[in-house]
Amino acid sequence: MLVVLSVALMVVDSRFDLLKPVRSQMGLVLMESYWITDLPQRTWQGVAGQFGSRTELIAENEKLKTEALLLQGRLQKLAALTEQNVRLRELLNSSALVNEKVEVAELIGVDPNPFTHRILINKGERDGVFLGQPVLDARGLMGQVVELMPYTARVLLLTDTTHSIPVQVNRNGLRAIASGTGNPERLELRHVADTADIKEGDLLVSSGMGQRFPAGYPVATVNEVIHDSGQPFAIVRAIPTAALNRSRYMLLVFSDRRTPEERATEAAIAQEEADRQGAGHGQAPATPAASAAGSAVQPVPGAAPATATPAASPAAVPPAPANTQPRRQ
Amino acid sequence: MASTRSRNGWAIWLSFAIGLLLSVSPMPQFMEVFRPMWLALLLAFWTLAVPGKVGMTTAFLLGLAEDVLYGTLLGQNALILTLITFLVLSLQQRLRMFPMWQQSLVILVIFGIAQLIQLWLSALTGNRLPTLALVWSAVISALLWPWVSFALRGLRRRLHIH
Repeated sequence: MLVVLSVALMVVDSRFDLLKPVRSQMGLVLMESYWITDLPQRTWQGVAGQFGSRTELIAENEKLKTEALLLQGRLQKLAALTEQNVRLRELLNSSALVNEKVEVAELIGVDPNPFTHRILINKGERDGVFLGQPVLDARGLMGQVVELMPYTARVLLLTDTTHSIPVQVNRNGLRAIASGTGNPERLELRHVADTADIKEGDLLVSSGMGQRFPAGYPVATVNEVIHDSGQPFAIVRAIPTAALNRSRYMLLVFSDRRTPEERATEAAIAQEEADRQGAGHGQAPATPAASAAGSAVQPVPGAAPATATPAASPAAVPPAPANTQPRRQ
Repeated sequence: MASTRSRNGWAIWLSFAIGLLLSVSPMPQFMEVFRPMWLALLLAFWTLAVPGKVGMTTAFLLGLAEDVLYGTLLGQNALILTLITFLVLSLQQRLRMFPMWQQSLVILVIFGIAQLIQLWLSALTGNRLPTLALVWSAVISALLWPWVSFALRGLRRRLHIH
C-alpha cells in the first residue's frame, strides 16, 4: 500500500507542480539540519576569528586595502568604458545594456549525493529569489536556482550532468553550448564543428541566448581541443572560471525579467521623451558621437537595422542610421 | 507506564533525528560515495527491536523527510526505506536468531537490493549517472551494522524500550 502511495507521489511530483508547496513547507523545518551540521565549522571559524592574532589581522587588512585600491582603479576605467559602450549602443540604436542588481547569499549545504552538483544557499522565496535565477561567484557563473523553499534555495551548478548553458567565445563570438560532465573541474562544448575557430585558453562567456542567464558573464576557459578525425565534432573541454566547489559566498543576480521586445519598446519610449525635452539643443550630443562612430561601428555590421524599433519616433530615428550607414561602407 | 512510553518514543525519534543529521553532514567529496545509509540502519535496528512501535509507516515518513532534504522526487527514498523495512520485517524472526556476522550479511543483501532499485529509479527519472558506485554505501552500512546494533542495544537496555 505504502509502496503504491510512494510511486504515486513520485509520479505526481515529477509531472505536476501540485506538491511544490508541501515540499517547500517541509523544507522550512528540515533545512535546519543542514544548518545544524554546519554548526561545528561555523563555530570553529568564529573562534578562530576571535583569537586571530593582531599581526595577522593587520596583514589581512593591508592586503584587503591593496586589493580594494586595485579594484577601484579598475572600476574607474570601467565607468568610462560603460559610458562609451552606452554611447556606442545609442549610435547603433540597439537596446541599452541592462544594469543587474545582485544580492549576496551564503552557502549552507552541499547535496550529499555524490552524483549531483547541487548546493543550498541561505536565501529563499521570502528574499525574492525566483526559479531559474542565475548565481555567480566572484570569478564567474556558478549555476541557477532550481528549487525554492521559504528561506533557502537549491542551486544546480554548471557542472551537473543535467545542466547546459549557452556560451560564446569571448574572442570571436562563436556560439556553443557548454554541458556539465559531473566533474567539478570540467565542462564540455557539444557539437562544435571540427573547423570552428576555438583554441586553448579561449574565454567562454554566457551568450544570453537561452533567456535565462544574463549575457557577458565569464563561464569557463577552454583547456583542451581535440580534433579526432573519427568523430563528427571536435571535443572541446573547458574549466569553469567560478570556484564551484570552493566558494562560500555567492551573488544572486536580479536581472530585468522583461522580454527584449518590451525592453526595446520601453527604451524607445524613454528616448522619445528625452528627445522631446531636449528638442532645443538636440543636435549637440550627436556631433561627437558621430565622429566616434567611424572607428567603432566596424566590428558589428548588420547590428543596427535589426534592433531599430518601430515604436521609436520618426523624428528621433532617421538621423542615427543616416550617420552610421554611410560610414560603414 | 505512560511516562516510560513517552520517554521511549523520545529516544527512538531522537535517534532518527540524529540519523537525518548524519545523512546530510558534510563530508569530503571523495568520501561521499561511501556515506552509510544511516536512516536505513536505524530503521532496521528499531524494526527488529520494537516491531510494534516502528514499522513501515515510520519508514515512509522518514523517507519523505529524506526526499525533501536531498531534493529527490518526493517518494523515492520513501519507497526505498519502506522496502527495506518490509524485507527486515519479513525476515525478522530469523534475523534475531542469527549471529552478528550473518546479520551483517543479510543487511548487506537487503541494502544492496534497495540501492539497486534506487539506481534504477534515478536512471528512470534521468537525474544521475547510472554507476554501480551506489552499492558501496550498502557495503559500508553492512560493515557498520554490528557497531550501530551494539550501541543502540545498550541504549535500549538502559531506557527499557519494549
